[in-house]
Amino acid sequence: MSHMHENAMTRGESHHTRRLPLLALALSAALVLVATMALLPVSALAMTTNKATARPNEDGGSGVIGAMDTRLTWEGTVGGDEEVSSITLSLPEGATFDHASTRITVLDGLNRTSIDGTATSSGNSVDVQFSEGIPAGSLVRLEITNMQFPADGGDYVVSGSYTTADGQSHALDDSAAITVIANTPLQAAVSWLDAQPWVAAWNSNPFLGMFFKPQLLLTSFASLFPGWLVCLGIVLACYPFAIVLGLAFAMLKTSRHKVLRAIAICYINLLRGTPLFLQIYIMFFGLPMVGINIDNNVLGVIVMAVNSSAYLAEIFRAGIQSIPQGQYEAAASLGMNGFQTMTSIILPQTVRRVIPTVTSDFITSYKDTSLLSSVGVMELMMFSKNLTTTSGNITPYMAAAIYYLIVTLPLIKVVGIIENNIARSERGGGPRPKRRAVAGASQQASKAEEELAASAEVSHAETAKPAADVFAALSAPFVSHPTVDLGGVADGE
Amino acid sequence: MKQLASLTRRDFLACAMAAMGTAALAGCGSASSSTGTSTSASTTSASQDTYTLVKDGQLTIASDLANPPLDYTDTSTNEPTGFEVELMQAIGEKLGLTSVYLSPVKFDTIIPTIKQGGTADVGVSNFTITDERKQEIDFTDPYLDSNQGLVTAKTSTKTTQDDLNSTDVKVAVQAGTTGESWVEENLPNATLVSLDDPVVALTGVQSGLYDAAVADLPVVQYLVNNSFTDCQVSIEIPTGEQYGIVVSKGNPALTSAINDALAQLDEEGTLKDLKTKWFGSDL
Repeated sequence: MSHMHENAMTRGESHHTRRLPLLALALSAALVLVATMALLPVSALAMTTNKATARPNEDGGSGVIGAMDTRLTWEGTVGGDEEVSSITLSLPEGATFDHASTRITVLDGLNRTSIDGTATSSGNSVDVQFSEGIPAGSLVRLEITNMQFPADGGDYVVSGSYTTADGQSHALDDSAAITVIANTPLQAAVSWLDAQPWVAAWNSNPFLGMFFKPQLLLTSFASLFPGWLVCLGIVLACYPFAIVLGLAFAMLKTSRHKVLRAIAICYINLLRGTPLFLQIYIMFFGLPMVGINIDNNVLGVIVMAVNSSAYLAEIFRAGIQSIPQGQYEAAASLGMNGFQTMTSIILPQTVRRVIPTVTSDFITSYKDTSLLSSVGVMELMMFSKNLTTTSGNITPYMAAAIYYLIVTLPLIKVVGIIENNIARSERGGGPRPKRRAVAGASQQASKAEEELAASAEVSHAETAKPAADVFAALSAPFVSHPTVDLGGVADGE
Repeated sequence: MKQLASLTRRDFLACAMAAMGTAALAGCGSASSSTGTSTSASTTSASQDTYTLVKDGQLTIASDLANPPLDYTDTSTNEPTGFEVELMQAIGEKLGLTSVYLSPVKFDTIIPTIKQGGTADVGVSNFTITDERKQEIDFTDPYLDSNQGLVTAKTSTKTTQDDLNSTDVKVAVQAGTTGESWVEENLPNATLVSLDDPVVALTGVQSGLYDAAVADLPVVQYLVNNSFTDCQVSIEIPTGEQYGIVVSKGNPALTSAINDALAQLDEEGTLKDLKTKWFGSDL
């Protein structure tokens, strides 16, 4: 407090020259006021309350919570011929201005007037004495930091009174109501953590306190959750489109027609050759300029799908070209046409080979949704950025990291399992009915693998019908042997 | 394969431990270097007259350099320029130091950076002096008075506070600014979009992505006049806020040294000259 006032004093002195005309104006206004006060009704000239607002103090939310520090901003305009020397603001019982600090701003239009004052707070009211009278027509703003609303929430109006230079006291209009919500269990948990000595000890370490502050970690998890859902939503919605697009461009690139190949090469190289960040900027700022307005989240899905499709196209192309020429020849010898060869021979085998790479690409896409925060999509990074901003602490970013890892770590594990499984079956090994029992006992096959093996049996039974080709194709990597009926070519690799 | 997998898992654990250790060490390292460069590191409480600097002989400044005409990167020379940059050069001269700007950082990371110490001595990026921020860091005396401005497209029909306080309205702000908290309090129904800098916010307004943007008035006025001519300042919000230079709480001697320099510059008229140069008038 005292430090602030020292600053304010030096500020006042440095603008001394500007004060003189104001002082003269204030004095003349005071004289006029005294002369007219006896004649005119007070209400016509009274000071008006413009607004009273409270700064949201809910971590990651927009609510004002009671019994937690917040900042009350009150604004009023000095009436016609008045000169105001002090203002008292009060809130209902339960609110407290104790430990609060008050910042006074007096404005004439957009120009700051150097008027300072002292604030004394007691319980639910705060009294501000100005160092000099505030001239008529001035805007007065009082920002009261670290005050608290009552714990039980509700709508509260700021009332109060003011005194004019001639010592008369008048009531202020009530402000519009400020809605305050009751203290939440989460905030109660945070308050509990605040009181723990081990938390204080933990936070006193600059590294731990800055990166892993327990209170913030807790509130971050709660408030980052919607952002996490948006991330998942975007990547899950974009991926099917990305796969379809990617497959289409992979076909075009492996096509025999020069033009089709050229189109695919342009598309893939342009998208792979430019940063996703740039593509996001172009789409988000460019499309609205040509009159195309799409919802931010939908546009996010589109950008991610298009970007991913280029990478997937290359993955699929590599997958298709890795299938030995003999497979095509064998299919041809069975009398299959090009389409049949593709759908029932080549693609099912491609799918099982590309699944690990595609999963890796999925992980990349999921992480890349973070770039969308730069254009205002409300995803994980956006929420954590906002939290870091208000808290000045890195912990929300660590909470975001954990939210990313929740998804990526299991996927990375899955990729590993599938790769092992495929590698084994491509070597001609893998669990055959008889060998599996032995393998299970001796090699401690992991649970996941057993489940995979079980699902292999299930799909084996189900895919007897040709209609289940798609299912067979999708489950292929989990199956130790190709299950599509290839007329005896299956083991021919 | 199996053995290999379990081996890697153990390796991973070992690696993780090592990484954490390194991180902790790095944290200690940077903390000690921030105090260690001064003449007397151990006597931080006693040394009231000597301030600590990240690099001897130079005043290292963190800024986002995205607030023309206050601080921005000159596109022709690629050097930081603007009112604040020239002010910091003048302050540097008074202190006998070279003022060095770091590469632009994001606005919302500047206060944590200064608080942590070790990277920059001061943060100068039109920081409004608020009591909340004062709990984290120290401010010098104010060097400029300012207000907030709300920008809309010239063609927009929603230009008043009442029009904009609606659920289908998106208002862009720079993360961590006083403009952001103004929108939170005064346009509670609108969707708040926090972005990295005011230039991105205005780009979005011009392209129609957001209905409005709120940022410091001198900045938006400059941007609207020079770059975003399809936009206009629809509401001039009288906040009467004042900009101060951000200094770590652990470095009070630097704060008072800068205050002395500011007072001298004010007395000599340099501050006024700079304001006239960059804003056309003594704001």
